[in-house]
Amino acid sequence: MADTDALAELMARCALRDQRAFAQLYRQTSAKLYGVAIRILRRDDWAEEVLQESFVNIWNHIIDYSAARSAPMTWMTAIVRNRCLDWLRRPNLERGDEDYDLLVEAMPDDSASLDVALGNSRDALALAECLKQLSGNQRQTIMLAYAHGLSHGELAEHLKQPLGTVKTWIRRGLESLRGCIDLQGRTRADR
Amino acid sequence: MRYRDQQLRDALAAEYALGTLQGRARRRFERSLKDDPGLRELVAQWQRRLSPLDALAEPAQPPTRVWRAIRERIQRGSRRQGVWANLSFWRAAALGSAAVALALAAVLAMLAPARHAPETMVAVMSGADASPAMTVSWPMHQKGKPKLRIRVLGHPEMAAGTAWELWVLPGGDQKPISLGLVGTEPSQEITIPQKLVPMIDGAWGLAMSVEPSGGSPTGLPTGPVLYKGQCTKL
Repeated sequence: MADTDALAELMARCALRDQRAFAQLYRQTSAKLYGVAIRILRRDDWAEEVLQESFVNIWNHIIDYSAARSAPMTWMTAIVRNRCLDWLRRPNLERGDEDYDLLVEAMPDDSASLDVALGNSRDALALAECLKQLSGNQRQTIMLAYAHGLSHGELAEHLKQPLGTVKTWIRRGLESLRGCIDLQGRTRADR
Repeated sequence: MRYRDQQLRDALAAEYALGTLQGRARRRFERSLKDDPGLRELVAQWQRRLSPLDALAEPAQPPTRVWRAIRERIQRGSRRQGVWANLSFWRAAALGSAAVALALAAVLAMLAPARHAPETMVAVMSGADASPAMTVSWPMHQKGKPKLRIRVLGHPEMAAGTAWELWVLPGGDQKPISLGLVGTEPSQEITIPQKLVPMIDGAWGLAMSVEPSGGSPTGLPTGPVLYKGQCTKL
């Protein structure tokens, strides 16, 4: 993975309509973004479509990108994720009936493996630490929702829980996460 | 629809970033995002908080046909842009928006002293909101000490420790070339090297990026591009 500064420079050149810089940006980020799309859509052909739409979108809106607000990879991943979610919510979409139980099991849930899985950047350490402080149910629903683009309804169905319960897990979990991550940021800044 | 309650705003931003805000609520939220910078900031914060989870997705190499399709589409787009960019500029001018009128006034004021010059190039540059923010103009075929006249419209702010650098975009695959640093004063003039005259007279457009004070350390734009615009021959 290319580092953030190098990507930011490529983005600036793309904003100046430098197509060669855009080709480089694609080479350096497409595998990661394709992986994100496959994880949510679980079909290669859909992921290809979404990746194509996303990169055209990135090219057209790159002037809106602000390095002050988010890292290049975070900005691009958000575009891909949003496209995936739009794709999944199309009316009459025949979504294959995969075995969600396997996905649920595949989530790293024992807290110890979270550190390793998320990496050791400052943001990753903060998130891993704060995810560990959530209840198991809160952690699992949040991670499943993010990783696979599951709706409240789908989560309720596959976790075999009432809809209201799942919504509460997510809402409370997110509230705790924010408080915890912000606190971590402040503690670190004070040191 | 406005979301006033701060706690509700943050909760919605969180579920939007997580992906669980869906259906009509999601579309309504996206409409609000367009004209609510504070809400966009909340979403960006949540995207950042959750982004380490992206490490859990296994990278996979997409087939080469994906890149071929993307390249085809952006090249087709930029060819079309060549024709339409000018048209849409003049259509906007005809609509008489105050900002465009101001830009044109600046252009006309600049034209008067250049009456004897055969032709003048002008670039009306705009930011993300597409309203004109800066105009740069110069007589073509300059000899001696070539000068560019710059008008800064509105009241932009330059953050401490940063500089504004002006770039000429030669077009095609060529990289931008620095024309030097500019300030925030409403009316300015900068002198450029004689050897850049053919370059600016044939330029596709101009752009201005935010750089560390002293200018870009690499000779290419490194910061966000605030304004850009195509050159038009008058």
